[in-house]
Amino acid sequence: MAGQPDRAIRSILVLGGGIVALSAAAVFARALRGVRVELVETAPDPAALADRLAGTLPTVHRFHSALGLDEADLVRRGIATHRLGSRFDHWPASGEPWYHVFGDHGLPVGAVAFVDLWNRAREEKRALPYRRYSAAAAMAAAGRFVHPSGDSQSRLSSFVYGLFLETDGYRDRLRAAADAAGVVRRPGRLGSVDLRADGGVASLSLAGGETLEADLFVDASGPSAPLLSAVGAAFEDWSAWLPCDRVVLERRPTPDDPLPLERIAGEENGWRWSAPLRGRSEEGRVFSSTFEKAGGAGDATRIRPGRYPESWTRNVLALGDAAAALDPLHASGLHLAHSAILRAVELLPGRDCNPVELAEYNRRTAEETIRVRDFLALHYLRSGRRDGAFWPALAERPLPDSLALTVQQFEARGRIPFFEEETFDKESWAQALIGLGLPPRRLNPLVRAVDSHKAAAGMERLAAEIDALRGRMPPYRDYLARMAALAPRSKS
Amino acid sequence: MAAAGEKQKVVVLGGGTAGWMAASALVARLGDSCSVHLVESEEIGIVGVGEATLPHLRFFVESLGLDEADFMRATNATYKLGIEFRDFGRIGDSYLHPFGSFGSDLDGIHFHHLWRRMVAEGRDQDLFRYSIANVMAWRRKFQPPSTDPSSFLSTYNYAYQFDATRFGPYLRAWATGRGVERTEGKVVDVELDGESGNVRSLLLDGGKRIEADLFVDCSGFRSLLLGQTLGEEWEDWSHWLPCDRAVAVPCASPPGVIEPYTTAAAMPGGWRWRIPLQHRVGNGYVYSSSHISDQAAQDAIVAALESEPLAEPRTLRFQAGRRRRSWVKNVIAVGLASGFLEPLESTSIYLVQGAVTQLIELFPTGPVDEADVDEFNRRTDVEYDRIRDFLILHYHATQRDDSSFWNHVRTMDVPDSLREKMDLWRRAGRVSKYTQGLFFEPSWIAVYLGQGIVPDGWDQRADPLDGAGLAAAMERLHGSIEEAVRGMPDHDSFLRRSGAAAGGTA
Repeated sequence: MAGQPDRAIRSILVLGGGIVALSAAAVFARALRGVRVELVETAPDPAALADRLAGTLPTVHRFHSALGLDEADLVRRGIATHRLGSRFDHWPASGEPWYHVFGDHGLPVGAVAFVDLWNRAREEKRALPYRRYSAAAAMAAAGRFVHPSGDSQSRLSSFVYGLFLETDGYRDRLRAAADAAGVVRRPGRLGSVDLRADGGVASLSLAGGETLEADLFVDASGPSAPLLSAVGAAFEDWSAWLPCDRVVLERRPTPDDPLPLERIAGEENGWRWSAPLRGRSEEGRVFSSTFEKAGGAGDATRIRPGRYPESWTRNVLALGDAAAALDPLHASGLHLAHSAILRAVELLPGRDCNPVELAEYNRRTAEETIRVRDFLALHYLRSGRRDGAFWPALAERPLPDSLALTVQQFEARGRIPFFEEETFDKESWAQALIGLGLPPRRLNPLVRAVDSHKAAAGMERLAAEIDALRGRMPPYRDYLARMAALAPRSKS
Repeated sequence: MAAAGEKQKVVVLGGGTAGWMAASALVARLGDSCSVHLVESEEIGIVGVGEATLPHLRFFVESLGLDEADFMRATNATYKLGIEFRDFGRIGDSYLHPFGSFGSDLDGIHFHHLWRRMVAEGRDQDLFRYSIANVMAWRRKFQPPSTDPSSFLSTYNYAYQFDATRFGPYLRAWATGRGVERTEGKVVDVELDGESGNVRSLLLDGGKRIEADLFVDCSGFRSLLLGQTLGEEWEDWSHWLPCDRAVAVPCASPPGVIEPYTTAAAMPGGWRWRIPLQHRVGNGYVYSSSHISDQAAQDAIVAALESEPLAEPRTLRFQAGRRRRSWVKNVIAVGLASGFLEPLESTSIYLVQGAVTQLIELFPTGPVDEADVDEFNRRTDVEYDRIRDFLILHYHATQRDDSSFWNHVRTMDVPDSLREKMDLWRRAGRVSKYTQGLFFEPSWIAVYLGQGIVPDGWDQRADPLDGAGLAAAMERLHGSIEEAVRGMPDHDSFLRRSGAAAGGTA
């Protein structure tokens, strides 16, 4: 039998000025030995939010392992802190603050889910807020942190965490990783895109006049997506569901100790957040320019929520905001970029970028992106806020079908329907739906298989146990200091 | 309709495998929320040839709290590690679709890509030797998989081959002991609610009227409630799956260790099953009546028997396809009443279990909500479409040109969804990914390769690896699989050891 037909991609050219471009170049160079990977580092685009925001999801660890980055090293360098999740205030306006963490709540009894037990106890007026049954939420609320335990019996084993990344320092680490992996880096500015007869990209001309060829072009240059647009991909607008189109972002020095969570607060025409870093914090505001015409929005970055359904078109693969632009809620930008990069490596097509091969990539990417959109859109379209003009207007808008199904199923019985490529798991959806004031309206009939009094007693014990954990966990600053004091791992 | 807090009344119509699985699961999971009443008639026979199952049934058995050994004794069950397909790609070919994966990934590169490169270099031939279930099956060995996920002995699974005519009665005894009411009788009329169009009650031949909130239609091919009463349209798939008859005949067990696998052998007009149970071997010829006569099929199956027949050959008629929706109004069809797919990949009982599981998850908390119905039907569509495509692949991926049947299936148009999957595989060995439903990557790989569709290319990350080192590592993997299997008990010994053997004569 003959060898591999001459199909392999031999060269990849990445265009972009931020974290996404560097991450893509470094991972491609590490994973695809023998492929020439070149990175043209362009000026950063302020609207490329995936390049600028500190927050990440727990999937960041898998990506770091593909990159060869070590969490402890990033923490010691003051680049990374831990992100258990988010605290939401004023969203809904009158409601209790609620938490979104990446971890289990309660314990199922047999085949009966905890959320069903909780919902019954709530109806019987003997349930504490949902978060009180989560060790991760308890840690977040108390500003404490430990790594998940490896002992599956421990209350502290069933959660994961993301990271906050100080983007300047992180970019330096990525540059080092890219260089170590053999990426050829050069600064540049895109002049023009030269197309082949078949519509794919033949070469890029830089502003200095130089021409660069490659088999595959990666567009990581932010929402303007110059390469993806050049090959004719169409943009799909999602602003009906993700109504915020302005972001104000700044870093501020802060004397406060960092906390392992970000704080999010609903406002009249949008929301604001604060994410802790070492010695400073990332502060941001997100709002709708339709409802807020002026008002300190001088430096606001304009964003246009939406995505390219075919983010891989011909020999152009778009990543980050060039593929899908979502607002910063729940820090999904870098997650989607990471996921796309790893998926591209796994499904790397032949040099001809045959549509049959791209279709599988685009299908899976679309499934993932749409469900992240749904999760974010839930917060806007079912916010529970009735004040001002912005929130009530959103409540009128129809939900996308997949989100409508999720809301209906949860309201009907506390069920979260399954979707392929789901980023936010059932626990995430349950926390958000309950937090936003949309608990199940009816009991799941399955819950009757568990005795109500026994279940309530078990829940009480669990909440007490979780409360008691708090005292046994170090304040986050102590934990960070302890991590920093540990000697770096020897490199073998 | 039951008011809030009251128990919903559920009537299950039909006492075959589907009916008793539905009644058992409903009473086990929702016994505090609903009453279950099963109506069956001894006069109406059950199809009951579905003897081969998928590993999902283990979970069903476990979730009812049944003792596995007791269940196996009662149904004369054997363990099943996969399905052998003979003569499908070409006459003389044979492969086993194992319940398990092939080799292990290397730095994210799926094993079959590494293997594909070795083939190109003439260093390897056979992917199946890296499947532990496959090696166990050929050696007629059995032991349950390891529960330690880091062990390669955890990379397989198993199902049962059993006597389906005994499974229903076994569940009946269990379910009636837990509160399922059973009524013997034939339905002579179905009464509808004029306003809603819901089924209100069943009228039985003795004059008894049975009312309920929900009706689970397990009436088999007749589809008495969903098809006949509510008139739900039939979607015909026989242009893709032309087999429409089966002739079944059991024979005595041959001497020697029982095969821990089912065999599907391609025949000129379809295919033939061979399912070894503890006390006999089930056989049947599934064929297309447009391509071969009933008599020729019967002669062929009798001629193929390895020992004396234990019963007269019995002919069944069916048609591939399904009712467009399985849940309409307050009727949920489960099993053959909702659709039929031939037993080539042992999916019948799985489809029953899947429908019952969905019904339990979406069980009405009050009047039936159309959104729940849509969700149930959406899930069912996904299940059926995926299984349908996978079955069609077994026919279409062939070089056989020895009969009009094989010429038809080889050259027919297949659904776009399957054509896209096959094109994707052919280019570089990628399997379209999903995690819901049946048949994941290893299953598709087994059938593609087993039936001669070798991808042209592979993951280019496999190219820079050291070829000799890779070949040696793969050889070591195969060696350790062989060594582990050598130390396992044979299938008969394990049946006795686990207490699953009925009467100790197996």
